[in-house]
Amino acid sequence: MDAFSALLTGFQVALTPLNLAVAFAGVALGTAIGALPGIGPINAVALLLPLCFALKLPPETALILLAGLYYGSGYGGRISSILLNIPGDPGLVMTTLDGYPLAKSGRGAAALAISGIGSFVGGTSAVILMTFLAVPLARLAMSFGPADYVALMVLSFALLGTMSEGKAVKTWIAVALGLLLAMVGIDGGSGVERFTFGSLELLGGIDFTSLTIGLFAVAEILVLAEGMISGVVSRTGDGARLTLKEIVFCLPAMLRATGLGFFLGVLPGTGASVASAMAYTAEKRISDKGTFGKGDMRGLAAPETADNAAQTGSMVPMLALGIPGSGTTAVMLGAFMMYSITPGPLLFTQRPEVAWGLIASMYIGNLMLLVLNLPLVGLFARLLLVPAWILYPGILALSYAGVYAVSNSPFELLITTAIGILAYLMRKVGIPLIPLMLAFVLARLLEDNFRRALSLSDGGYEILFSTPTSIILWILALLAIGWPLVRQMQGARAPAPGEA
Amino acid sequence: MIDRLVGLICILLGSGAIWHAQTLHVPFAADPVGPRLFPTIIGAILALGGCALVARPGRVELEFGTWPRALAVLVASLIYPLLLLPLGFILATALLCFAGSLAFHARPLPAAVSAVATAVVFFVLLDTVLDLPLPRGPLGI
Repeated sequence: MDAFSALLTGFQVALTPLNLAVAFAGVALGTAIGALPGIGPINAVALLLPLCFALKLPPETALILLAGLYYGSGYGGRISSILLNIPGDPGLVMTTLDGYPLAKSGRGAAALAISGIGSFVGGTSAVILMTFLAVPLARLAMSFGPADYVALMVLSFALLGTMSEGKAVKTWIAVALGLLLAMVGIDGGSGVERFTFGSLELLGGIDFTSLTIGLFAVAEILVLAEGMISGVVSRTGDGARLTLKEIVFCLPAMLRATGLGFFLGVLPGTGASVASAMAYTAEKRISDKGTFGKGDMRGLAAPETADNAAQTGSMVPMLALGIPGSGTTAVMLGAFMMYSITPGPLLFTQRPEVAWGLIASMYIGNLMLLVLNLPLVGLFARLLLVPAWILYPGILALSYAGVYAVSNSPFELLITTAIGILAYLMRKVGIPLIPLMLAFVLARLLEDNFRRALSLSDGGYEILFSTPTSIILWILALLAIGWPLVRQMQGARAPAPGEA
Repeated sequence: MIDRLVGLICILLGSGAIWHAQTLHVPFAADPVGPRLFPTIIGAILALGGCALVARPGRVELEFGTWPRALAVLVASLIYPLLLLPLGFILATALLCFAGSLAFHARPLPAAVSAVATAVVFFVLLDTVLDLPLPRGPLGI
């Protein structure tokens, strides 16, 4: 089956009334949630995740919804970045650099329009690339053995460490914590209870929805309650509207950013934040004549395009390899697993309706988003005027209602809050949450493959390094582990060794 | 200083994990590795990470905003599960949102109104429209 006919079958799935409605709900809610200050894609997906399970949506429908939230919030995020100067997530920091100055000079509407178009160009081109690249990549992974998978997962953890500047050690701590949390409960291989401390409730392990809500909803609200984030809404302004000339002027920047963003999105470990930062820097180097940072359209279009291209790109390794490329896709991988679907090489042959239905829905969703985000952007911008004291308690209530709807257990709410406290403290001391999430989702796969590899060799460790693929991946992983550690050690030594 | 403390906690947690893994009693092993090795390795990584932090701590600026507000939200969140079944979803959620609203600088009257509205809207949306049963209180609502 070539990509075209497969995509056509995908459209048959995506165009059913339920899936169309869900795609629309996903992208509209995604835009709305993305528009709220301090709340980004991962919070959006986490918030709606329990409802998907509680409603017992079919897997392709649930994933169309979650994916819609994900790339929809990529569109919505620009609104608070441009009008409030508050990026909803790290991927949007660059959007503020030229977006906010434009809004302050009265051209907020034009800034919203060009970034909306950029998001569409990035998102749609990336879906096209994904249509043709996902299956070849999956075929490549078909030959992967357990040892190769172990190496691949270690590599993606290691890449996370290289991306967080000066935090390599803390990234590994987060990974280890995530893996340990995932081990709570009954071990599938031997039936032994691990880390349950005799508690009956913990026998089934820590629920994935409780973990995501705790990490990305409860902790977020706690931080917001401290009032660390605030801003003044800048009006969309009545300056000149966006002209066709300006769109054409930005087009080369958008296309460059698409390529860069998609590529960085596909790489495991690097996500939208790296992509938009690199696209901005690259564009600045190519076209800056002293206008960047003061409201240059290209400085706004480039990171916003790259951000959306990377979001879609990061779904490629999640679907084709079963290894997520970002925190949000890790949540989506967890959603797959709760439906007992294993993403990866076999997904496209065994569950084509899920894989292709999802991809087809992203074409439709991006079109919906273009409509929602150009004429109707004012509606979403008005969300910024909803007072915090209505909004955030509401989000907290929805989080707990969702967890309760899935579990029907007040105990699960306590676990969620406990994870929220842990996440809050981790944020305070600078331990990143995304690696914990990623590790928690991959833990089962990692341990299973590890044990499968070692049973093949009857306990001999040499099997982990026995195939050419695994050796290459291990070398890459070692480089990725070693490099930031060396840099961090140097960094810690150089300025004022006695301090801290 | 903070990093040293975090490192120390990581060492304790890591060693705890290793110790716990060794105490696991395995009646039969389906594979030659068993359930012990993996947690042992991960515990070791955690402890090593902790050692690295203790040996070379970075500088962490502990920044807290008006933390009593976060604490208020937290306390409300901890009480909420205890009240959920006895009081029912609407009442318990309204209390949670009321406390939350006050923490986010609302005056009492608007906070109460928005809290009740939020609770009712979510109840109707989840329980009535989406058919996800939420606990009802003593009055049947």
